[in-house]
Amino acid sequence: MNYPQSAYLHIPFCYRRCFYCDFPVVPLGDSARGEHGPGSNSIKSYLDLLYRDISLTSKGIPLATIYIGGGTPSLLSASQVASLLDHLRSHFGFQYGAEITLEIDPASFDKRSLEGFLDAGINRLSLGAQSFDDNVLRELGRSHSSNDLLEACDWIQENFKRGRLASWSLDLIRNLPGQNLIAWKRQLLKAISIAPPHLSIYDLTIEKGTVFAWRVNRGELSLPNDDLSFDISKITSQILNRAGFSRYEISNYALPGHASRHNRVYWSGASWWGFGQGATACLWGNRFSRPRTRKLYKEWLETEETTSKLGSLKSIKKSQSIPIEDLLIVGLRRREGVNMQELSKGLGWTNNQLETNTKELKMAWAYPLKKGWIKQKGWRFYLTDPEGMEISNQILVQMLEWWESLNGCSYD
Amino acid sequence: MTDVPVSRLRNFCIIAHIDHGKSTLADRLLQETGTVSSRDMQEQFLDNMDLERERGITIKLQAARMNYSASDGETYVLNLIDTPGHVDFSYEVSRSLQACEGALLVVDASQGVEAQTLANVYLALENDLEIIPVLNKVDLPGSDPERIKKEIESIIGLDTSNAIECSAKTGVGIADILQAVVDKIPPPQDRVSEPTQALIFDSYYDPYRGVIVYFRVLTGSISTRDKVLLMASKKSYELDEIGIMAPDQVKVDELHAGEVGYLAASIKAVSDARVGDTITLLNHPAEEPLPGYTEAKPMVFCGLFPIDADQYPDLREALDKLQLSDAALKYEPETSSAMGFGFRCGFLGLLHMEIVQERLEREYDLELIVTAPSVIYQVNMIDGEMLLIDNPATLPDPQKRESIEEPYVRIEIYAPNDYNGTLMGLCQDRRGDFVDMKFITTDRVTLIYEIPLAEVVTDFFDQMKSRTKGYASMEYHLIGYRKNDLVRLDVLINAERADPLTTIVHRDKAYSVGRGLVEKLKELIPKQQFKIPLQASIGSRVIASESISALRKDVLAKCYGGDISRKKKLLKKQAKGKKRMKSMGKVDVPQEAFMAVLKLNQKT
Repeated sequence: MNYPQSAYLHIPFCYRRCFYCDFPVVPLGDSARGEHGPGSNSIKSYLDLLYRDISLTSKGIPLATIYIGGGTPSLLSASQVASLLDHLRSHFGFQYGAEITLEIDPASFDKRSLEGFLDAGINRLSLGAQSFDDNVLRELGRSHSSNDLLEACDWIQENFKRGRLASWSLDLIRNLPGQNLIAWKRQLLKAISIAPPHLSIYDLTIEKGTVFAWRVNRGELSLPNDDLSFDISKITSQILNRAGFSRYEISNYALPGHASRHNRVYWSGASWWGFGQGATACLWGNRFSRPRTRKLYKEWLETEETTSKLGSLKSIKKSQSIPIEDLLIVGLRRREGVNMQELSKGLGWTNNQLETNTKELKMAWAYPLKKGWIKQKGWRFYLTDPEGMEISNQILVQMLEWWESLNGCSYD
Repeated sequence: MTDVPVSRLRNFCIIAHIDHGKSTLADRLLQETGTVSSRDMQEQFLDNMDLERERGITIKLQAARMNYSASDGETYVLNLIDTPGHVDFSYEVSRSLQACEGALLVVDASQGVEAQTLANVYLALENDLEIIPVLNKVDLPGSDPERIKKEIESIIGLDTSNAIECSAKTGVGIADILQAVVDKIPPPQDRVSEPTQALIFDSYYDPYRGVIVYFRVLTGSISTRDKVLLMASKKSYELDEIGIMAPDQVKVDELHAGEVGYLAASIKAVSDARVGDTITLLNHPAEEPLPGYTEAKPMVFCGLFPIDADQYPDLREALDKLQLSDAALKYEPETSSAMGFGFRCGFLGLLHMEIVQERLEREYDLELIVTAPSVIYQVNMIDGEMLLIDNPATLPDPQKRESIEEPYVRIEIYAPNDYNGTLMGLCQDRRGDFVDMKFITTDRVTLIYEIPLAEVVTDFFDQMKSRTKGYASMEYHLIGYRKNDLVRLDVLINAERADPLTTIVHRDKAYSVGRGLVEKLKELIPKQQFKIPLQASIGSRVIASESISALRKDVLAKCYGGDISRKKKLLKKQAKGKKRMKSMGKVDVPQEAFMAVLKLNQKT
């Protein structure tokens, strides 16, 4: 298998922790700024660790997609982003036309720093809008207002039109407490009116240890019931399809040609590098997450530096392939689904095995197939939009049961 | 060992309520007489099963022989015969009482007399046993020995002027107890010259030696060379060994009238040597067996099904093995369209049922689905035939039945009188007929009801305990069958009858039970990809219905930076949960749903 052509870099800093968030982030306070403001020392020392992390890795081949995510990576100054990309470029090299994405949050950058990011080589942005409604933003504990958001959209759109930006995405969260169909529709139409070429849409999940989790436990939040949330997803797909967007991945919609190449790497079975605190890498079928706290990350890095000249690659056998259930779990997130014939090659199945096993998979999926939630074309299976994709967990569980019966193994 | 004259033998047992400290007291007696050295002392030596030790109750009885140097300078042999402490095993209690001449009545010095104690004391009095009252736990701050003595006098009518105050925990009064056993309990009658009669009061299965039988010789003697005959099972055996429990088994050559011992004779199953059977000599048999032998009759029934159909043969093997050591356990194969292959099992009572289930899961590593407990109904058919039905799903159609009769028990509840109202409410709720209410002291009361057994085997005991903060105790015995207007209540999941959820209820309660059942099931059955109708029906008439709406959506979480570990964990958890369910009418039904009938009552 080839070396990874993609890299994820994690920048854990935020102004504050949003009420639903349990990502590995470091809140620095509302006035934090990259090189000189409060929190700048913390940012600097973290970037040093990140550079060391990159240097540890074997050189590999030039990168085709780079994604700087967070946290709030736009808390870095333009020159910090530039030197981060320089480090990466001098270590791996970048392919011609590489997709280089930066996650940015409204109110964490201005017009000038945006220009600076683009000058540094960023050519795709992912804007953490979440909502256009000030009340909702406050409820979510976000540090931006709808005005901040609209302003940010203007700046980005202007650069996009001038061709300085290849593409950009606007991220929204739905299924929020108290949200109804009309409120959501309004959000969606507002987003479309801004005309981003890409939209990421996630459902709110209540994670342990977050402000939302306490509020749910105290019975303070009323989340949309099943029927409402299904209607919310149904109109999401309807409205976006009408506006020309295609649901190329379970949580992502794009105009033709604007799908995120980096995002597709995650679900294709390809490898990618992951750098920074809490970052997940997937190297030749091996998913590995770095420690989620700064302290443990630093210790891990130091051990790696002293024990291994080859860095984190030492222990990984390059012949390993991604477990098929992982490939199915991630593959079915995509519009095109999964191709059993292709998958079977990696497993060394004979044609007979492919046929019997696929037949059994179809038995496990009998009901959703009958209902048209899964479609089959040749050896390819894919989930329909929106029904199939909305109950993907169920369908994946049926798939896991099939896989388990195939292997005679059980999950504990 | 057999050279002890009968006059220096004493056989006694301990009667106590579940947590009044019987096992600890027995341990103390063993220690005090040097039978078990302190070094070897495990806590609660006589309770052998892990389960017993965990629950602090005695299920299988045990016995121990002690040598005690009394104040007259002579050495006496004291046989302590332990008794089980639960209503399910009252037959075993009565047998072990027959093997004794006396009993220690142990009462907690702060809590007083409880229902089960009383039932056993009456049994002991019927058997003409000498009873020595012992007040235990006098070291506790809340103890009030004088009040409890008065209670014993007024409730049981025993003279408590010589009652012994003790603390099994601190050791106070233990020597007094041993001396009282020697002084007050009469020695066995000297009947060595008569034909041999020995009473089996316990037996257990040993995989290497076959069944080990515990017995008391009442007349004549038994020696290793004898061939014995078991009079009820009509089987004869050559003896491999006989011996005494000291408390570890020690072989002896001969046991005489009055002595307690064990025998091994390559007996294959405990059902061949049942508690209550009489041992005599094949060549010189007694004319009559000892009175009082009955076969243990199961009162409570339920279905046991393996979750994984492949475990069916393992379940059969496990039940076969358990039956070798548990003569009261009955089972026969049961097939249900919904549950596949399993067994219909009969138990002495709810505790017995729980113990068996737990042993199957724990010792044999089986995963089981257990249906709600049921009793035996007598169904009088129009054609004059009488059927015994222990599985509600097999109750014949109404047009073929003349009437249904159900077993009734007389239940006695002892409680502080503050709880009168709530307890009477409970009994009324469960179709009980009030018989009597007696004040046993100024603040304690006995309630007597006649009540259908079916209402008791559900969660009556738990309800009684929770309504009285644990202060009430109860005792019941079967009084016969009564005609009632009973109907079969079926549950349909996705339009298919779910046999394991079928119940037999009184017509007046059918509507509320049916409604409660479908509501409970709606809570317990997870959403599936399609809409599921749930119905409760009597015959073809639907009396309650609900539906579980189709699962319409999963949460689409952010798999951040390609991190799917959390997602995978969630999916695997779901897949594992599904495996523990049974598919009925194409619906995955979790184990708890089969006990929905029991959970129903928890709301009231």
